[in-house]
Amino acid sequence: MRLGRRNRQGGARHDRTDRCVADLVGALGPERVRADGAARHLASADASMFSDGTAGPVCFPDSTEHVQAVMRVAASHDRAVLPRGAGSGLSGGAAPLGDPIVVSTTRMNRVLEVDAEDRVAWVQPGVVNLDLSRQVAPLGLHFAPDPSSQQVCTIGGNVANNSGGPHCLAYGVTSAHVLAVEVVLSSGEAVVLGGLDAEPSGYDLRGAFVGSEGMFGIATKIAVRLTPDPESIKTLLLSFDSVADAAATVGAVIASGLVPAAVEMMDQRCVAAVEDFVQAGYPREAAAVLLIEVDGLSRGVEADTRKVAEIGRAHGGNVRVAADEEERALLWKGRKSAFGAIARVAPDYYLHDTVVPRSKLVEVLKAVYEIVDRHDLVAVNVFHAGDGNLHPLLAYDSRQPGANERVAAAGQEILEVSLAVGGVLSGEHGIGVEKRDFMEFQFTAADLEQQALLRRSFDPHCRLNPGKVLPSAHSCADVASLSASRPDGVWG
Amino acid sequence: MTDSLGLLGVDQAELDSCVACGLCLPHCPTYRVTGADTHSPRGRIALMRVVDEGIAPLSDEIVESFDSCIQCRACETACPGDVPFGHLLEATKEFVETTQRRAPWWLKLGLRGLTRPRLLRFVSSSLAVAQRLRLVPSRRMGIPERLPVRRRALRPTGDDVWLFTGCVMDAWQRDVHLATKEVVEATGTTVRPTGDAAPCCGALHTHAGLGDDARKLAARVISALDGDNAILVNSAGCGAALKDYGRLLDSDEARAFSERVLDVHEWLADRIDQIEMPDAQARTGGRVAIQDPCHVRHVQGTHMAVRRVLEPFVSELVELDDEGMCCGAGGAFSLVQRQLALDVRDRKTAAIDRAEADVVVSANPGCSMHLAAAGHAVRHPVELIAEALRSR
Amino acid sequence: MITPPVIDDEALLAFAAEIGPRDPVVVRGGGTQWDVGGAPNGDVREVRAPSGIVEYRPDEMTVCVRAGTTVAELHAALAENGQRTALPDGSGLPDGSGLPDGSGWPDGSGWPDGSGLPDGSGLPDGSGRPDGSGLPDGSGPCGSSPSTVGGAIAVGRSPVTRLGDGHLRDAVLQLHYVAADGRLVTAGGPTVKNVSGFDMCRILVGSLGTLGCIGDVILRTRPIPEHEQWAKLDDIEPQIVLNTVKTATAVLWDGSAVWARLAGHQVDVEDDLARLPDAPETPPPELPPFRWSRRPKDLYRLGEETGRFVAEIGVGVVHCERPDPDPPPIPAGVAALNRRVRDLFDPDRRFNPGRSVERT
Ligand SMILES: Cc1cc2nc3c(=O)[nH]c(=O)nc-3n(C[C@H](O)[C@H](O)[C@@H](O)COP(=O)(O)OP(=O)(O)OC[C@H]3O[C@@H](n4cnc5c(N)ncnc54)[C@H](O)[C@@H]3O)c2cc1C
Ligand SMILES: Cc1cc2nc3c(=O)[nH]c(=O)nc-3n(C[C@H](O)[C@H](O)[C@H](O)COP(=O)(O)OP(=O)(O)OC[C@H]3O[C@@H](n4cnc5c(N)ncnc54)[C@H](O)[C@@H]3O)c2cc1C
Ligand code: SF4
Ligand code: SF4
Repeated sequence: MRLGRRNRQGGARHDRTDRCVADLVGALGPERVRADGAARHLASADASMFSDGTAGPVCFPDSTEHVQAVMRVAASHDRAVLPRGAGSGLSGGAAPLGDPIVVSTTRMNRVLEVDAEDRVAWVQPGVVNLDLSRQVAPLGLHFAPDPSSQQVCTIGGNVANNSGGPHCLAYGVTSAHVLAVEVVLSSGEAVVLGGLDAEPSGYDLRGAFVGSEGMFGIATKIAVRLTPDPESIKTLLLSFDSVADAAATVGAVIASGLVPAAVEMMDQRCVAAVEDFVQAGYPREAAAVLLIEVDGLSRGVEADTRKVAEIGRAHGGNVRVAADEEERALLWKGRKSAFGAIARVAPDYYLHDTVVPRSKLVEVLKAVYEIVDRHDLVAVNVFHAGDGNLHPLLAYDSRQPGANERVAAAGQEILEVSLAVGGVLSGEHGIGVEKRDFMEFQFTAADLEQQALLRRSFDPHCRLNPGKVLPSAHSCADVASLSASRPDGVWG
Repeated sequence: MTDSLGLLGVDQAELDSCVACGLCLPHCPTYRVTGADTHSPRGRIALMRVVDEGIAPLSDEIVESFDSCIQCRACETACPGDVPFGHLLEATKEFVETTQRRAPWWLKLGLRGLTRPRLLRFVSSSLAVAQRLRLVPSRRMGIPERLPVRRRALRPTGDDVWLFTGCVMDAWQRDVHLATKEVVEATGTTVRPTGDAAPCCGALHTHAGLGDDARKLAARVISALDGDNAILVNSAGCGAALKDYGRLLDSDEARAFSERVLDVHEWLADRIDQIEMPDAQARTGGRVAIQDPCHVRHVQGTHMAVRRVLEPFVSELVELDDEGMCCGAGGAFSLVQRQLALDVRDRKTAAIDRAEADVVVSANPGCSMHLAAAGHAVRHPVELIAEALRSR
Repeated sequence: MITPPVIDDEALLAFAAEIGPRDPVVVRGGGTQWDVGGAPNGDVREVRAPSGIVEYRPDEMTVCVRAGTTVAELHAALAENGQRTALPDGSGLPDGSGLPDGSGWPDGSGWPDGSGLPDGSGLPDGSGRPDGSGLPDGSGPCGSSPSTVGGAIAVGRSPVTRLGDGHLRDAVLQLHYVAADGRLVTAGGPTVKNVSGFDMCRILVGSLGTLGCIGDVILRTRPIPEHEQWAKLDDIEPQIVLNTVKTATAVLWDGSAVWARLAGHQVDVEDDLARLPDAPETPPPELPPFRWSRRPKDLYRLGEETGRFVAEIGVGVVHCERPDPDPPPIPAGVAALNRRVRDLFDPDRRFNPGRSVERT
């Protein structure tokens, strides 16, 4: 894992782009193409600290036709293309390798059609996740995947990363909420994968596209499923004297046959940080707290609430049920501020993301503490406990000598521990460049070759977002040299 | 962590406190309308960084990125890491201005004019006459369509509190001062308008990167308003600027001064029960939509106070559904970045239309003028309160 | 350095060895959906996937099961812990036993010559499977249909409860399959949440055995609801039922009556029933044999061409008496993609030659 200072390299100009820029301007108009250093510099990074390449020209299409035009220009100049949403990704998915043409979807931000009867909306890929839910709220509907970044991330990014969120425990991740995607392929051709009918025939290309991290094509229209708002919601705050009790409660709740809408855990370090930041009323003395939400019809929700409370108490927990919407909002605000609370501690952070079997949570958390302490790092844990999705958040200062190396080492050890107990590399942030070189920890050469076949089915030239996800040995030959030859910088 | 100074002269730790998470992006009006990272807070900070470290030259595009910022500071409210964006951008603008002298001559001339109240009133009245004679295209010039030719006198009633009158507002919206005075006096408090002794708060100068001018004005205002009396401000931008003198001048005197400054709604909120409430019929009718000036909501954080004081006096208060997104006025911004200001305003206009509001209230002269130019009926909250009190 | 888990299940290794790296092969499950996509060419070697439950972890809500296991056996085992999966097991179907009497299936010919029938005679080799005593006696959640887990995944069709239980593809967490070159491949991962690498499971679900031969699978399980029942409603718009009955996991409509399957807390089902005019507990009619795919809103525009039909409201599947005369077209670009996928995964077309995912 290569961690760096956050996006600040310089370098000399190169003019290979000039003709390409002229063609892009010819195809899209000057107001939709930016080739200046400022625009390219900013398109060279996402919310992670992986930035090995520099963006080429940055395009701002507003239609499928524009995206097709970009793709054709790219093909004629043999340039790579990188789709970019809000740039909130945490695995370097939208951070370029080489110097690809960047296709920013921020101007493709219209909700095209809402069909309340069938509970489907067609949206452009640049629509912000929370904006969509807000817009359909008057219909009593929402878009279920709710990443903690939902106020900023785009539906296109959600689709590309198959993003999750607290409420995906009950409702499923993005893939379960995407019915069809219009995709511009590297050939410039636009195809609609999936469909609004019940069982579109052919392979589930839609399903394969979701989670393809910008490497199969550029999503230009997405048909998402809208979920009816639950009639009743209850949120419980459970606090425990030990992480083990909290984890055992999670297991017991799940095993009891309940399907809570969300089960989130925060450890003591996290609670302390959150309470310093927003006074959400979390008990500072608790070793771990659980935020559990149940929803559905009111009588069932009451029964579930009682059951969760009973299980919590049986495990030595202190139980508080949010009395009203205000208290509920405050509890969630605490959970959602966790990231910010820790971000104030140090200038850089590394937000890890692995999944382990629920029964291994205690064991793995212990190992995580041991690892970060050994590497002299600050870490808090706040995560989707219901599905075993760990998010150790490591805060550090990359200017301190050796800090990057320590974070990288700790990150790798946490991965190894997770895999050793039967876990996986990533639960929601994706592989990108961050975990590309660890893919061989989880997959054999045969597995990776099959994944490469799937990618080549969509993009035979490996033009889209080259160098990501698959370790170089399994990537297309023509881009294998990407990370070796770093292109010149953006400041002419 | 060493607190070093780069080219911008800001504390690098402040620049580095941005972790690039992007959570501020959707709250930034300019990013919302253009979708360009160069028009986003995260992008602007990243560019400040490369300028600060001397990595990138101060190119036109980089300067444009800074100049296109409305300085609404919505990004500060949204930021989980408390990045002091406003201060960083002010320092950056000052750096740009001192190294490149970018501010247009007419803007500088105009800003100087603000510090000369009599001249300002004269020019303003002349313009008003010219408007009546249809000699000036008001809309294109971004000035209110019906400037007052004559102003009613604003006389002191005592010394309990200062009422900061400012520059443009006093020349163009004196009625708001009169209403403010009336409402404050309804609590049994006497009011002394600051008048020409403290002619301008300097906010616009700070925003334009004219730091020296701003500091001079601040010193002048502080020395004119000595004593311990509270200083009430009914213009969001001025209030925010006066409250920031402590940081701007970095002196104990200035900090003590800033402590005395209160947004008028903030002050009224604590005294609202000293006013005799109107009965239901006397309340101002229609649907009243609240538009929070950014310097109320994101800088001073006094937007809830506005609601508290206004609520008893109007029949129906409605919220806009755009979460306090900037209207695009931004002081002189709407003059300097005309198109961007209009695009941002379109979003606000859409939100106002969705709210089906009869009247919009806004506690900042810049915002009200900008919105009025789009055809909305805009009033200052205290005007509605004063009206309700009068019909009591 | 960490290495990927080694596949050491003898049954799986034997399955891979049997498939080998060359020659046309086809995996036969229970043969209950044999004609979907067209029958394979005549001279194809038939193999059977291994069977048996490898590891059931009720607390993790996951089960690892070999592909040749019948859905019936799997669900019988899960039922002991009050769980099941989103795979079709016939539960909730007409006679409650879930046993198709042949009449409910495509012209009866879909049944492999009767050998796949419940008498057990058609079972792979008897080895992978309980001697029959382990099978539910019909009173359980499922009948003793020979249809297999691998077949259900390869066909990729969800049961009528998809409305409430979700698509079966979302229940597939990990697959081991034999690729065309004979190697054993892992798709996905064992945890309930996972975005490591491309989503290979999705492309295999519904691939009708044309991309790989599924050896075993890890499925997400879900709790069996406290209460489940059908309710029949006359003289009501199906869309209204869909919108008001919150506990509905299926809403079926035959053009006049509506059958809703209500599942969840007893109290919630009671509340839902209380909202409805008069809804006697009545199972739905038998499902006609042919399956059409429509947009949910288009279900109300079905005409004479269906014959008797039962439509899945909110989902869009229509069970009809006749084949779909007018199936949604496959655009050329998508068809080309489908072809490319198959060409790359199985360049020699050795898997299920003659069968196509584009033909239903
Ligand atoms: C009572 C009951 C009722 C049902 N009702 C319906 C219904 O109404 N509609 C409906 O669509 N489904 C229904 N099903 C589900 C249907 O039986 C399943 O689709 C499925 O289980 C078929 O399995 P099979 O073993 O019979 O498959 P087969 O008919 O043996 O095979 C079907 C296809 O899958 C391939 N295949 C089988 N196993 C593998 C493997 N391991 N790897 C790769 N490819 C494989 C075959 O090559 C073939 O192409 C019902 C099931 C039951 C038990
Ligand atoms: C504070 C914070 C909290 C987060 N919390 C969560 C969380 O709870 N759950 C979670 O899953 N993630 C989370 N994330 C990660 C991130 O927000 C998600 O991955 C998100 O879906 C990325 O969306 P984006 O629009 O920012 O995409 P980007 O970062 O711009 O891009 C992400 C990937 O998608 C590709 N892409 C973007 N648009 C398209 C398109 N139209 N077509 C094809 N490919 C495209 C890009 O090439 C890139 O590979 C969090 C991030 C932050 C900063
Ligand atoms: S101050 Fe306003 S316009 Fe400027 S970056 Fe922040 S949110 Fe955007
Ligand atoms: S300014 Fe704050 S919210 Fe915006 S990217 Fe930086 S840290 Fe995140």
